[in-house]
Amino acid sequence: MIRIEDLTVAFGETEAVKHVNLELKPGEILGVVGESGSGKSVTALTLMGLISEEARITTGRILFDDVVLAEAGRPKDKALYRKYQGDRMSMIFQEPMTSLNPTWKVGRQVEETLRLHRDLSKEERRRQVLDAFTAVGLRDVEKVYGSYPHELSGGMRQRVMIAMAVILHPGLIVADEPTTALDVTIQNQIIELLRKINSEQKNTMLFITHDLNLARRICQRIAVMKDGRVVETGPTEEIFETPREAYTRRLIQAVPSRIKKTRKTENAVSPDKADNILEVRDLNVYYREGGNSLFAGKRKHCVVENATFDIKVGEILGLVGESGCGKTSLSKAILRMNKNIQGSIVCREPYPQMIFQDPYSSLNPVKTVGWLLKEPLRALGRLDPSREMTEADMEAAAYDMLRKVGMEESYFHRRPSQLSGGQRQRISIGQALITRPRLVIADEPVSALDVTMQAQIMELMLELQEELKLSYLFISHDINVIYRMSDRIMVMQRGRIVEIGDTEGVFRNPGQEYTKLLLKES
Amino acid sequence: MKYFAKKIITLIMTLFVVSVAAFVAFQIIPGDVVTSILGTEATPEREVQLRAQLGLDRPPIERYVNWITDVLKGDLGVSYRYSKNMNEMMPVAELIGDKLPVTLWLAAVSLGIIIVVSIPLGVLWARSRSRVADALFSVCTQVTMAVPSFFLGILVTYLFGIILKLFAPGGYVSYKEDFAGFLGYLLFPAISIALPKVAMTARFLRNSMLTEMKSDYVRTAYSKGCTDRRVMYAHVLRNALMPVVTFLGMIIAEIVAGSIVVEQVFGLPGVGRLLISSISTRDFPVVEILILYITFVVIFVYFLVDILYRVIDPRISNR
Repeated sequence: MIRIEDLTVAFGETEAVKHVNLELKPGEILGVVGESGSGKSVTALTLMGLISEEARITTGRILFDDVVLAEAGRPKDKALYRKYQGDRMSMIFQEPMTSLNPTWKVGRQVEETLRLHRDLSKEERRRQVLDAFTAVGLRDVEKVYGSYPHELSGGMRQRVMIAMAVILHPGLIVADEPTTALDVTIQNQIIELLRKINSEQKNTMLFITHDLNLARRICQRIAVMKDGRVVETGPTEEIFETPREAYTRRLIQAVPSRIKKTRKTENAVSPDKADNILEVRDLNVYYREGGNSLFAGKRKHCVVENATFDIKVGEILGLVGESGCGKTSLSKAILRMNKNIQGSIVCREPYPQMIFQDPYSSLNPVKTVGWLLKEPLRALGRLDPSREMTEADMEAAAYDMLRKVGMEESYFHRRPSQLSGGQRQRISIGQALITRPRLVIADEPVSALDVTMQAQIMELMLELQEELKLSYLFISHDINVIYRMSDRIMVMQRGRIVEIGDTEGVFRNPGQEYTKLLLKES
Repeated sequence: MKYFAKKIITLIMTLFVVSVAAFVAFQIIPGDVVTSILGTEATPEREVQLRAQLGLDRPPIERYVNWITDVLKGDLGVSYRYSKNMNEMMPVAELIGDKLPVTLWLAAVSLGIIIVVSIPLGVLWARSRSRVADALFSVCTQVTMAVPSFFLGILVTYLFGIILKLFAPGGYVSYKEDFAGFLGYLLFPAISIALPKVAMTARFLRNSMLTEMKSDYVRTAYSKGCTDRRVMYAHVLRNALMPVVTFLGMIIAEIVAGSIVVEQVFGLPGVGRLLISSISTRDFPVVEILILYITFVVIFVYFLVDILYRVIDPRISNR
């Protein structure tokens, strides 16, 4: 039995977690759900004794089977915690790539847990690690044992992380967004695996996620957190059927679960009449092996094969597929960022624009919002003298765009670091649209955002699409997001387009096994 | 194997380009070796005679081709300035061969000191939690980094040579006569070279370790129940060494190429001093070979760094 009583965690003067009470019954899976910044991760890390040293527990305590692990006013007992960490409590992290030491073979990393807590011979340790690998569904375990993290796929890495966490059958497993960084197809397998481990080992699990739907699939009870407080706790179905808090209702609604967008009919495209803004015929996209070095090989690697499709004026074409299937390579070819192609691309928009996934790293941090919004206009003026603008016109256009993406004028002189993730993505969208392109490629534009943020950004993109008569190539690995946004859907698998058709049709009646799999697992 | 072939081709190409550049530079810079050798005894007839003797009356391209063919055959030519005795010219190979061990040993001792001292120091610094220790480390490294090496050399000579009398300033012993004494004498110049580099490397390693400490895998290591010590040495150090290795590579290239100032201050007959005197006397055959040597050293050290990368970080594969 694990109890968190009246826990408050402060960083300096700021309280990240405020008077939280949580109780985990033996063998249950408790979901902690909230947006980023709600204090769910801080709670979990404090429970695990992994919170950074600047953090202080100002009220309350944490009990593990009646042993007080941490308490307000008492310095952290590292020695006590070390006996629990890895042995009786363990953690699965969000990002399986960075959470494993890149310079150690994964077998040795899992083995370290055994070495720290058990007195076993070398052979015995190795055997147990291999068994654990088999138990988490890894194949070819000997080979995995001797591999480095970068040699494994994301799903395999997360299985290794899970093997590391469960090898000593700990009483408590804390899983912090364990599937967020993975593809939909892998997500489901990992959830199944966690459920299986829970039923076999009878561990108590604390499952942290921003995704209520995901929590619904695995948790018996759910605690909803907001601004450092638990605002609602209850059995999963009760939370979904009769949410008490407005916040919970908003979280449930924010989940883009098959809510079809509501577009005005007059704006919807009638497929026969409209002109094509983009025509792609028999397109092959290649990458040269070995990059651009003097000695780079002449061999080319084909990443997109035989792609043929159109995008009509005013249409949103959703492109879905797992990571590595060629989605980004295709969009780079359309933007002429990769000229190593065969086949034809006819684009009626001379300067198509792109919205990127990560609003944190794709905005230059030393520039102001105003400068960032004007930059595409300056660049365009240099490319195309007929579209050169005066500084005053650019300024006016930037203010106008700032309003269009739903932000106040006072943000004009701020820098990206002073903005939230959602606000940054609004600026990215503004950057893409300020040159008035008719075709915009959006590469996973909402994947780095919270669910509530996701809903707002998708809403914004749809509004702007109507207002400015845009066409989107909307790329996502999230089939729910695609469903919400797209008029038609294109499914890619290993560089090939395997299915293309109107959204409702594909969803109701998928023609390919792979599409069925994608739909089932979302 | 393909990797090595690429590296060797790059090396040869670079050496060729550098040798041409050095040759051209020597054509352009003012000053004439013949007048420099003859000095006040110069007469037009003797100048013509010496020019012919040194082959300087030939067109530049022919001279370069002759020179490079000789070098490729293993004949590095003779020095314009140094002579063995009254009748014999000094071969460049012999001249450099004489000085090279001094510089190489000096570099080896300095590098040994840098590695042995800076790595534990950097780790210790990264682990130090108290503000006093941190400030102390910070001030010490700041000061040692800021002091120029000639001044440091003078200080070391003064402190160890004149006050503590641990070595005799100016009492250089040739490695041919007394190797132990030679190494003993090298210790103090090596300290002068190493001290600022130790401070830089330690600071570099410390910063790198502190950055690495924020990585996700460190949190994973703690979640398994690792102690602070284990996290530092087993997990963080190896990852943190990557940028340090690059930095060490730069240092090695610098000191193997000859620490001109320190050789001067301690009166060491090394490559650095030879380079300075040869440039000032327009002793082209010597300078050209020394420039090729330095180029080779720099490229070779970076090659070693490249290999070391692959050893430390498995993510970098042989492309």
